[in-house]
Amino acid sequence: MQIYLDHSATTPPHPDVVMRMQQIAQNDWGNASSLHQWGDRAALVLETARMQVAQLLNAPDPETIIFTSGGTEADNWALLGITRQYTTPQHLIISAVEHPAIAATADWLATQGWAVTQLPVNGQGQVSPESLEAALCPETVLVSVIYGQSEVGTIQPIQTLTQITQRHGALFHTDAVQGVGHVPIDVQALGVDLLSISAHKFYAPQGVGALYVRPGLELQPLLWGGGQERGWRSGTQAIGLVGGFGVAAELALANLDAEQLRLSQLRDRFFRLLADEPRLQPTGSQQSRLPHHVSFCLPQAPEEVTGRTLVRQLKLASIASSAGSACHGGQANPSPVLQAMGYSKAIARTGIRFSLGRQTIAADIDWTVLVLRQILNRLGVK
Amino acid sequence: MMPYWTDAFGNPASLGHFYGWEAQAAVQQARETIAAAINAQPDEIVFTSGATEANNLAIKGVAEAYLQRGRHLITVMTEHRAVLEPCAYLETLGFKVTYLPVQADGRLELTQLSTAIRADTILVSVMAANNEIGVLQPLAEIGYICRSHQVLFHTDAAQALGKIPLDVEALSVDLMSLTAHKLYGPKGIGALYVRRRQPRVQLAPQLHGGGQEQGRRAGTLYTPQVVGFSVAVQLSLERLESETVQLQQLRDRLWQQLQTLSGVVLNGHPHHRLAGNLNITIADVDGAALLLVLQPTVALSSGSACSQHQPSHVLLALGHSAEQAKASLRFGLGRSNTITQVDHVAQVLIEAVRSLRQNSVYS
Repeated sequence: MQIYLDHSATTPPHPDVVMRMQQIAQNDWGNASSLHQWGDRAALVLETARMQVAQLLNAPDPETIIFTSGGTEADNWALLGITRQYTTPQHLIISAVEHPAIAATADWLATQGWAVTQLPVNGQGQVSPESLEAALCPETVLVSVIYGQSEVGTIQPIQTLTQITQRHGALFHTDAVQGVGHVPIDVQALGVDLLSISAHKFYAPQGVGALYVRPGLELQPLLWGGGQERGWRSGTQAIGLVGGFGVAAELALANLDAEQLRLSQLRDRFFRLLADEPRLQPTGSQQSRLPHHVSFCLPQAPEEVTGRTLVRQLKLASIASSAGSACHGGQANPSPVLQAMGYSKAIARTGIRFSLGRQTIAADIDWTVLVLRQILNRLGVK
Repeated sequence: MMPYWTDAFGNPASLGHFYGWEAQAAVQQARETIAAAINAQPDEIVFTSGATEANNLAIKGVAEAYLQRGRHLITVMTEHRAVLEPCAYLETLGFKVTYLPVQADGRLELTQLSTAIRADTILVSVMAANNEIGVLQPLAEIGYICRSHQVLFHTDAAQALGKIPLDVEALSVDLMSLTAHKLYGPKGIGALYVRRRQPRVQLAPQLHGGGQEQGRRAGTLYTPQVVGFSVAVQLSLERLESETVQLQQLRDRLWQQLQTLSGVVLNGHPHHRLAGNLNITIADVDGAALLLVLQPTVALSSGSACSQHQPSHVLLALGHSAEQAKASLRFGLGRSNTITQVDHVAQVLIEAVRSLRQNSVYS
């Protein structure tokens, strides 16, 4: 038996998504910019998907959805598309628990002279509205705070943060890659100016995502060329991936409430079964949390036991989990996210994440908990 | 692609578990196949979302990395917009760009290139095969000139991969943009070849993040796309010679028949061009009206798919007027086209032109 509990890294494409991609590969493979029938058919696929994604986010207009090659490009574009409109460096605010696609882009901007403030988080990984209020200054042009944190599952008070930001005349972006498709996200209710989405976190393929751009917002392109996506993002659209993305968005919207409830119950079951286990300490907020996200650290572990040790042991038991986010998979460094939450360097190496999905059932959770306890015993964790 | 849609869906960066491993092995194998296709090393291949991103990465990445050495770039007026637009963007940042003209046959004149290279030139970007007129540029000669001036040489080979032999060593190419969907692969995947040895090309990443592709391009790779790309490359290389002959025969047959019309001109060099490409200008006929009449019979275009509403900048560079450029047709023949189809298209086109001319103000 194999148990896949790494849905925050990527998800298995839904069978309907695969079927759609197959249809497109065989029948609707045209270039959406071509003027002939093959082009028309591809354009229809493209615009249908744009509508489906817009509906998932309750976007005011399908044209606010611009397809990208994924969450990383959407994040880079949001930050660079706004900041590159300024000829002199200004001020940017991000949180201390951003995905590397935001953190590394902010680092690059800092090398270009931009002032970058990293908002601190509390022990649950949450940004406080007060700290944002204090950090905003007249030079602030953009604030970017992650919606749902990938390592510790914490959801930020985005609506409040957006209101504060906009009151100060700055723009607000959120990386909602881990949230979209799992919790209801309404861009109009949130009031955000920009929002990043990745398709492969909710049963669509990798290599495609989107940036929501609030109507009327000016943004400089990141990719220059043939002027696709109404000049916002050049490059022939990956029609197969986009079509799959659209189907996944429609499925996510149809199942959102039921699946959110089911997964949060499984998540709570996971935490509850380990509530008496002092060797594993839950990380992140328990109240404001992604429904499919379970994460721990090992406060008492001997030095040689890290999150990666557990991941490897679980792998031998055919259970897929993750230590930190997948992009860091090659490194044994302490997690910057856990450190920002106040954990010591040693503990910040022991983070482990289980992310549940549509095929996860209660028995998977029960079995994983059992295996996890045995591994801890075997490793001699006290 | 299909096995990776369902069974091996892992994130190639997830090294902690089996799903990620299987994906990573497939990506590595694809990297080797694509590298071998252009005589490069696997670690010189950076996967991207397509040729547009590869061109942007090459041009902006080199410009940013060599900022201290110089701020002058050279390209050609007939390049794809995915090269011209990043260059125009760099101009807004204070870079200088020389746009070389082409000869009437679409080919670059080499002495013009030599003269244009300055002490502060950091990059020359010349496409391998033009997307509209199919003209092949003399890459080996250009590469030689760049190498002897110690200037980096980038080529957009989106249209050339799998259609003509490409060898980064023989051509002295330092950066090469590739895409899958022009050779029967999926859309949304491409690559940039970046030379690592003699010289080692510095490249400033243009997508920041998780450090994938050895820090040169962040973002999760999609395994099926990468695998589909490499299969398409492999199939094209296996068939390269036979398909070139087949397409050339079809194209020449089409051209021969179309020449029975008066006032038809071939755009671009007659021999130094892609086997499947035919681009013609038809005098005394309204291009838009012609396309409309042809539409039920044949899918073709008046130029690049990305910019159908303006007269082609490529044809203007050949010396055509805007009017002539609009009355031009691009035929891109492919693997599945047959003699019967070609004959049918020629017949329909000839009739359409004759009938349009009869009713037109020109006659």
